[in-house]
Formats: sequence, structure tokens, C-alpha cells
Amino acid sequence: MTMLATPLEAELPLYFGAGGELFGLYQSAGTPARKAVLLCPPLGQEQIRCHRLYRQLAHALAAEGIPVLRFDYYGCGDSAGASAQVDWQRCLADARDAADELRQRSKTDRVIAFGARLGGSIALTAAAAARFSELVVWDPVLDGNAYVARLDAMQNALRRDPQRFCKPRLASDAADQWLGFAISKSLRQQLVELRCEPTTVPTWVMDSLAPTTTREWQSLGIDASRVNVLQPPTPWDDLGRLELAILSHALIQAVTAQLREVA
Amino acid sequence: MREQAFRFGRADHMVGIAGLPAASTQAVGVIVLNAGLVHRIGPFRLHVELTRRLNACGYPTLRFDLSTVGDSGASGESQTRTQQVCADVRDAVTLLSRQSGCTQVVLFGLCSGAQNAHTVACTDASVVGAIFLDGYAYRTFGYRLRHYLPRLFDAGRWWRTLAYRRNPSTPRSTEPVFSVVALPQEVVRADFASMLDRGLKLCFIYSGGISNYFNHARQFRECFGRVIARPGVSTRFIAEADHTYVLTGDRNRLLDNIEHWLSDNFPVANAGASP
Repeated sequence: MTMLATPLEAELPLYFGAGGELFGLYQSAGTPARKAVLLCPPLGQEQIRCHRLYRQLAHALAAEGIPVLRFDYYGCGDSAGASAQVDWQRCLADARDAADELRQRSKTDRVIAFGARLGGSIALTAAAAARFSELVVWDPVLDGNAYVARLDAMQNALRRDPQRFCKPRLASDAADQWLGFAISKSLRQQLVELRCEPTTVPTWVMDSLAPTTTREWQSLGIDASRVNVLQPPTPWDDLGRLELAILSHALIQAVTAQLREVA
Repeated sequence: MREQAFRFGRADHMVGIAGLPAASTQAVGVIVLNAGLVHRIGPFRLHVELTRRLNACGYPTLRFDLSTVGDSGASGESQTRTQQVCADVRDAVTLLSRQSGCTQVVLFGLCSGAQNAHTVACTDASVVGAIFLDGYAYRTFGYRLRHYLPRLFDAGRWWRTLAYRRNPSTPRSTEPVFSVVALPQEVVRADFASMLDRGLKLCFIYSGGISNYFNHARQFRECFGRVIARPGVSTRFIAEADHTYVLTGDRNRLLDNIEHWLSDNFPVANAGASP
């Protein structure tokens, strides 16, 4: 761990973007920076589960002298909008706006994006428009159709979970939701059609998927040298851990080391 | 309605979101405490939906992270957890008061948030009401009857129990469990009586998600005695819901209950008025 000569400046909570609808927390590095990192969150319950880890990562990067912006998409976290209003295209636009906000605050044009799960997918898809210089993605969702099918299966299991409900709930009680969050038909369709394409932006993958999961990193044009396999696997799809935070010291170390090396 | 983000507190170490109604009102403020270690947005964004709905009704709100929870840091003081929670809420009241002009607040808490709300409500003069979701409760004789009697005559359950004893193949969780020891029942009962004597209004909403120690609306009386029948108390048991209201329909019904309780007990003079 890096020893700090001076304490980090406190994170600044703020609203930004058109109409001040997006919430963010800006962590200054305290010194002039050559690069900054935008942390793109996942969606839904994965965002809540990753909140602590994102905060730890922001602090670790700031300790390396890298300014960081964490933010919430429209309809997520503390940002404006209802959960049912989350929209894929709006998420991409929000990532672009957040990157611009980070450039303005950090006074550096070079913004690297990090994202877990759908946050990684958003970073990959928005890379060109948001002018990301590099990407680090953690178990990104590349096949939206399979992801939707998995969320549907988990939602169906959740309503019958005896650890949660005294009596199984009707399918209608659990309709149009994924794991605690209302979803629109348009978001469902957008995710069904999601297929991440290869990007020309230099990209590294942090892979902590279960051993039985099919990997598709090559479809992004990423060779094995840019894939960092982390242990243990992250229990993304374990319904029994739905409300437990995802913490990974290995992930924070690996991402920090990777971004330290990026010239 | 507008929301503003703040870094605040005696060490400028806490993060919170104040929600202010579109029109200036004389309403009480509502302060939302963390549910466990979930940051201020609450489980499945419950606290965001709650505060925005209350803002639309005319109540100023503050959802924030207690010291060392969510995005808040440590205050750097040497305090017990109880002292720290009380000081954190005092800082939150000061902030909301400065932003909205309110001088009295209602506390809202789920689970450990309800326990923290209880702690603060015992002593803080600015607190005029509290909403406890799945707060303190105790297994009573009635609970045990309701829990065990049906099982006694359930042949399927006996069969599963015997089968498990013959072949205990299901591994038990070996993960460590951390929990806070609940206050003694008599202490909590006396605390509630004291709060009501001071004029506080109390709202208890318990869910079926805590069926391992609470399983019927009658249990409020079994746990807390006659204090629960006093005029300032409202109780509701939502058997079908889980502990964190994961289904949107359950969550909306919960928010309806809270909104109605607030409007009955702390009416807003010009509720819902536009600027």
C-alpha cells in the first residue's frame, strides 16, 4: 500500500450535467495530474453491491496521484429519475457527460474508464464518444441476451425464496422488475440487443467469473496478455448473497497496479 | 422539489442529500438513517423513493451516511458508537434545519437504522417522531405457539427433519455472523413509554421478513405491553413483505403507509403546493 505524504482531500459530493441531474463524488489527487479515472458503475443491485469497492478503489487511485470521479446514471443512486426510467442510451450519454466533468475538474484531457459488469459494457460502448484513452473492465457483460435471461431466472427464483418470503409470491408481484428494481420494457429490449463490439481503445479485462462461465474476451479483440484472472471468483449471480457487498482486495490491487503502469 | 449534495458534520466527514419541497412549508423534517451497511440510497433505492415522495408532500428530508458508513468517513473522535450516532444525527438535524428552516424532525430507520433511531429518539429534544421498520422485537410465548404448533402437526416437516438427521448432507454456513446485541426488552419498553411521555409519535412497521422472531400483529402488544396501545403509537404488520421490500409493489405500499402516517400525525399546512 502506498504511504501518503499528506492526507487525501475529502471527496466532493456534487450534482452535474444538464439540469444538474447526475450525482457524483469527485476525489482530487491534490497534485497536477496527467490522467484521471472515471468509475462507471454497474446497474441495479450490482451497483449497490459494488458501492463500497468503488469507494475503496477511488481512494486507492487518488493515493497514486490520480483524480477520480464516481457517479450515478440517471435513474440510479442519488441521481435524478426513477429506477424505471433507466435507459441504455441515456447511460451512455451520462458516461460521456461524466467524462467531460472529470476533464474539467482534473484539468487533464486524458480520462481512463473503469467499469464492472454493465458498467464495463457502458465503458466499452461509450469509449469513442466519451474519448476514453484506455479502459479497464471487470467481468463486463458482452452478451446482453444471456444476461437478461439470467436476471429473469434469478427474479423468478427470488419470488419463491423461502429465506425471503413466508409464502411464495405471485409471478405478477415480481413482474417488470429485476432484483429489487423496476425496469422498463425499453431497457429490457436494449439489453437483449446488447452485444459489445471490439474497440480500438486499449482495454484490459479483470476476469473473476466462475470457472464454468463461457469467456468471450477474444470477441473484443483482446488477447490473453490483457486479461488478468482474479481469484476467488466473484459471486455475481448468487441469490443468497443478493444484499451482501462485493469486496475484492485483489481487484483493487490489480486495477491500481494496471493504471499506475499506464504511461 | 430539489436535491442538494452536502459534505457536513463536526469534522466535515459525512455525505448527505437534502431534499427540499418546491414550496417553503412549516413541516417537520424527516431524517433517514442507514439500513445496515447499505449507503444512503437504501436497499433497492428505498430511501431515494421515500425522500422524494415526502418532498412532493411538502416535507424536507435528509438521507445521509453515518460516520464510517457509505461515503462518510470517521470523525476522528474517541466516542462510543452510541455517542457517535447521536452526534451524527445532531449534525444532520443542524444541516437540515439550516437548509429548510425546520426545527423538529422525524427519524426513519430500517433494522439497525431503527435501532439507531431508537437510540437518538431517547434523548434528542428535536425528535418529535420515529418510524421503526423491523426494529426491536422479542420472541414471546405467543410467537412460539404460532411458530411451533403448526409445525407439530406438519407430517412433511417431520419427514424432512428425520431425513436430515439420517443424512445431514446440507452444509451449514461457516461464514462469520456479526450482529448487535439487542437492548433488554424491559429497557426498550421503558424507552418507548418515556418517548410517548415526551409527546413523540411512534410508527412501527414490521415485515414477514423477520419471521424468525416476529410473526403476528399481536406480537407488538406481547413485546411491549400496554405502551403499544397509547394514542401516539401506530403499528402495522406486513406479513407478505420481506425485510428489505425487494418487490416494487410492497415498497409502494410501504411508502403509502408512511406517507399517510406522516400526514395524519404531522400535517403540512400547504401540502403539495407549487411555488
